[in-house]
Amino acid sequence: MLSVQTWSPFRPATFAGLTHYDELLFHDEIFWTSLWNTVVFMASSPIAIALALGLALLVDTRIRGRGIYRAIIFLSYPLMTVAVGIIWRWLYDEKVGLINYVLLSLGLTRTRIAFLDSYEWAMPSVVVAAVWQIVGFFMVILLAGLQSIPPDLHAAAALDGASAVRRFRHITLPLLRPAVFLCLMIGIINSFTSFDLIYVMTGGGPNYATEVLITYIYRAAFVLSKFDYAAALTVVLFVFLLALTWLANRFAGGEAGAVDAAD
Amino acid sequence: MRPTRAAAVHGALTVVSALMLVPFYWVLKTSLTGENIFQYPPALLPRAIHPFYYVDVWYYIPFVRYVANSVIVSAIVVLGNLAFNALAAYALTVGFRGRRAVILLLLSCMLIPFQATIIPAYLITKQLGLLNTHVGLALPLCSTIVCIFVFKTSFDAVPRSLIDAARIDGLAEWRIIRHVMLPLSTSAVATTVILSFVWSWNSFLWPLIVIRNPELQTLPLGLSTFLSYMENTTGALYAFCIMVLVPGVVLFLLEQRRFIEGLTSGATKG
Repeated sequence: MLSVQTWSPFRPATFAGLTHYDELLFHDEIFWTSLWNTVVFMASSPIAIALALGLALLVDTRIRGRGIYRAIIFLSYPLMTVAVGIIWRWLYDEKVGLINYVLLSLGLTRTRIAFLDSYEWAMPSVVVAAVWQIVGFFMVILLAGLQSIPPDLHAAAALDGASAVRRFRHITLPLLRPAVFLCLMIGIINSFTSFDLIYVMTGGGPNYATEVLITYIYRAAFVLSKFDYAAALTVVLFVFLLALTWLANRFAGGEAGAVDAAD
Repeated sequence: MRPTRAAAVHGALTVVSALMLVPFYWVLKTSLTGENIFQYPPALLPRAIHPFYYVDVWYYIPFVRYVANSVIVSAIVVLGNLAFNALAAYALTVGFRGRRAVILLLLSCMLIPFQATIIPAYLITKQLGLLNTHVGLALPLCSTIVCIFVFKTSFDAVPRSLIDAARIDGLAEWRIIRHVMLPLSTSAVATTVILSFVWSWNSFLWPLIVIRNPELQTLPLGLSTFLSYMENTTGALYAFCIMVLVPGVVLFLLEQRRFIEGLTSGATKG
């Protein structure tokens, strides 16, 4: 409702038609930047899922201490994201940060990189921190998926002479699809909700290089006091999210949600 | 498994674990020594450990007040989640007209993240006059659809005959929930407590919007305020980080299995 009105806390509301949407779609570059950045952020979740799958396969082997490895890798997930953001700021620091130190020592770079203050590096840097935090969570979900695959299937395929690679492709991956799909959904939703990390690490800067939809909504409403405009942005976010979940659901063969709804 | 392969797996996992732990180690080291805030190159091992930054934190910022605020809000959220979700789940289990429609509605709303609703949530909270209060902070988190389904799954497993028997004995419905259903669903209760606690404890965006009064700031908010005052010029920032993280880490290590189960089941239901 608010998105089609002119509204601010100090004035009575008047009907504004679609002017906010007009401004948003045709005159607001920051909106398009933030939308693009959201998509980039989202695109990082397949990488995280691939990493997590590798880890899950490793932890799934019968070795000693797997519980410890699992705990260590999962540890970063339930922690306070604000603190995680501060830790990563410190690692990325231009002058004394650990990452610059390691890169310089290994000779991978000659000059120090101001990761969070440079237009090119800010987004990848934030994405790395985000992947670091969530990879353990994806791993645990995929691990549960792996462990629900009956071992007989593998045994039978091995007996028929299927190699480990082929068993992985034709047994593990198809049966893991629901778990992968779940991770993907979480990744999508996450890209619309990762406010804390970005706010602490870059605040959406430099020059909107890391501005995503949710940080833009926050800024529009609570820094610039344009509630009506922020409402229009929220509606766009909503539509986007719905479209994506619908698409993802189509690709997954409509499995999601059906499980619970079936009762 | 052959020993060479096991060694390779161990090697790979050790490297990954080390990578996961490096950020913690680095911050812990800085908070204890503060040595490479102005110094380069950084020393990899800590020298001259001292607790002064922790003392700084204790005296410069109202740490106890932040903790108290966080604890109050989390307590309201956890209790709210237990009460509302158990009631809702019981209603869905026992059944009423339009139950299927409600379930479908809940399922479709489950995909909407809270962050997408901050504008209306803020305006409602404002209308209720709850800005700058603990209750206002806790309110939007007080019931979560995920937890309703966690409870429902568990309630569904309770035999109907038990509920009927309790009714014949003249138990009121709410006492059936308290004395029959809840004691039989300890794992659902644990999941709900863990999920709602983690969510409210770490929640940042909502307090950032709702709280203007410094007296009411919660831990994440205090941390970010401290960051904006100090930037990274002092080891106290990292001491603060460690003090904020330690309770969470200890809790996680103590209740590791339940934590992992709870958080994952929260996701699979969502």
